[in-house]
Amino acid sequence: MSEATLYQEWTDEQKYAHFMKRIEVGEKIEADDWMPEDYRMTLIKLISMHGISEIMGALPEKEWVPKAPSLKRKLGIMAKVQDEMGHGQLLLRVAEDLMKPLGRTREDIMQDLFSGRLKFHNVFHMEAPTWGDAGLIGWLVDGAAIITQTNMLNASYGPYARALKRICAEEVFHAQHGEAIIMALAEGTEKQKVMVQDAVNRWWEALLMFFGPGDASTTGTSKQDITIKYKIRTKTNEDLRQDFFTKYIPRVLSLGLTLPDETMYFDQEKNLWVYKQPDWNKFKNIIKNNGPKSNERLSLRRTAYDTNKWVREALNTAN
Amino acid sequence: MSKPERKLIDEINPALTSLLYQLADDDFILAYRGSEWLGLAPHIEEDVAFSSISQDTMGHAAMFYQLLQDFGEGDVDHLAHGRKSSERKNAVLLEMVNGPGHYLSTAQYDWAFAVIRNYFYIQSKKIRMDSLKNSSYQPLAEVAVKVNMELYYHLLHWKTWFVQLMEAGGEARSRMEAAVKKTLADFGGVLSLGPLAKEMGEQGLIEEEEILKQRWFLMMKPIFESVNLTVSEADFAMKNGNGRKGEHTADLDAALSTLSEVYSADPAASW
Amino acid sequence: MGSEGFYQEFEVFSKRTDTSPLQYQFSLLAPNRELALVMAQENFMRREPVADIWVVKRSDIRKMSLDEKQSLQRLDNKDYRTTKGYGYLKKKWRHYEQEMLDENEILSWGGLKKSE
Repeated sequence: MSEATLYQEWTDEQKYAHFMKRIEVGEKIEADDWMPEDYRMTLIKLISMHGISEIMGALPEKEWVPKAPSLKRKLGIMAKVQDEMGHGQLLLRVAEDLMKPLGRTREDIMQDLFSGRLKFHNVFHMEAPTWGDAGLIGWLVDGAAIITQTNMLNASYGPYARALKRICAEEVFHAQHGEAIIMALAEGTEKQKVMVQDAVNRWWEALLMFFGPGDASTTGTSKQDITIKYKIRTKTNEDLRQDFFTKYIPRVLSLGLTLPDETMYFDQEKNLWVYKQPDWNKFKNIIKNNGPKSNERLSLRRTAYDTNKWVREALNTAN
Repeated sequence: MSKPERKLIDEINPALTSLLYQLADDDFILAYRGSEWLGLAPHIEEDVAFSSISQDTMGHAAMFYQLLQDFGEGDVDHLAHGRKSSERKNAVLLEMVNGPGHYLSTAQYDWAFAVIRNYFYIQSKKIRMDSLKNSSYQPLAEVAVKVNMELYYHLLHWKTWFVQLMEAGGEARSRMEAAVKKTLADFGGVLSLGPLAKEMGEQGLIEEEEILKQRWFLMMKPIFESVNLTVSEADFAMKNGNGRKGEHTADLDAALSTLSEVYSADPAASW
Repeated sequence: MGSEGFYQEFEVFSKRTDTSPLQYQFSLLAPNRELALVMAQENFMRREPVADIWVVKRSDIRKMSLDEKQSLQRLDNKDYRTTKGYGYLKKKWRHYEQEMLDENEILSWGGLKKSE
């Protein structure tokens, strides 16, 4: 601060310039620091969606927690889904601190989820009808999540970066948990092999969609530019999707599985995977809570929240 | 407490296996009920904490099943997933559903029942583990020492919820009292050691049922008094059957078909 | 968030072992400090050893404003407070054929018996 005046007396322009300079040199912004309104709003949207997706993401896997086929698998998947709830906790805390100046709390986040104003990730609207899906979610959906989350480990917003650091450390366990289930199936009986292949086929399109549209021309809006400008992330949606292909396609194929896109290949010259685009209209529709399981999962979440309301009301006083 | 001379048991016998089945089946089915709660607790932070307790509890079940496997009773996954309802020895209270609705769509689970069932059960489990530390079956005594370690947290956790919701008054108090009533109506089953209780005592596997029951009372009495709750021995019953004798409810059948759905698809396969 | 309500903010600190310093973990929401304490370990330390946990109500913490943080700056002219200002002694002791008793040397004395 070179000016002689107190920081609190600075104009917004001065504060903005100072803020951008801090970001440029790699300083971390903290919850109580001044930040431009669009930075705050972008973070709130990004992180509350990320957080609530973890909470909603517990539901498709939850189906398989009581059903897991051995004591070891039951324990493993319980710990994994518990982590998802835990990640939701970390992220919602980060979002809640950002919303605090706006007078909004976790209660508002939950209500926004129920009203459809707060969206959750496309993959968690999908069905998970077999144990193969439980493995596939752990392996490839978490794999995709690792790709997007590690891209933000150096986010300019300190609390988000710190939460992601905790989350990514646990994702390594998730990935291995998923791999263990998938490998047992891929090396198992014919029926088990079919189970994994079906799961891959079922999830492929959702996995492509996971990273979001390549640019705003596909769905009309995109937060990519603003998040890159503010150094919340570095890579574009398409960069991340390509990274995912590079890391995971050789592994999928090595297990004797096939991809449900016969046209897909790696273009050596362009150094890019060429693939069939998913149906982005379907994507838009899914995230508007019109996916195959959107209503059932939202209703489960809402019912649980309402049923337990008495608990939160009973303890609704300060200590 | 002076200990009678401890004669070690090293042979399989019906009293010992019966005790091990009770311990394993109790923990297994309650942990299963806990796993259905996952994602549905009243509060996100609590969801995470509760799940750890369910995992610990299933881990304990696995240790008890392992002792049975060591006796040639079958492998642990068969013991957990492959046995019929009539072969299960868990107390009926622990198999009862968490509340109305299915865990995937319409669950309206009862947090008051979760708190009371878990708190009362864990206290009884703690007393059993303390007694089992001196069991004449040495491998069981060793497992009891380990299991006991994790029960301090379980107790602290459930006791905190119990006291706070009991003291909250109003709707919470009436829900909690209803859950106490429901729990006690089948709590006799939890405190029972089953038809071979006498043999268990004689062999020094665990102390007598009545001693353990009185100890439970002794531990709970000051807590009950602090929240102004009256519980008497006459309240303990086995309204829905004696699980120690293999009597169970439709709730257990439904749970078994869910928890063994994948396992039963191909018990010979590696999962 | 006011001082009333189910969603109170608590900051969680923990010690990994008896001898390690207290370390900040993360924040959680709880209706009161008893429940905050009961939920803290499983939320933030599921996979690591813990020897102690503190929960602190966030509203009880006095934080610094950006302006106040300026009071933390100081000049780099305080060698006299550190061993750096006394480095020349090494050479002088050598003159007396003695080793300098530096930080490494002094901090190693605690656990030693004479017979070392």
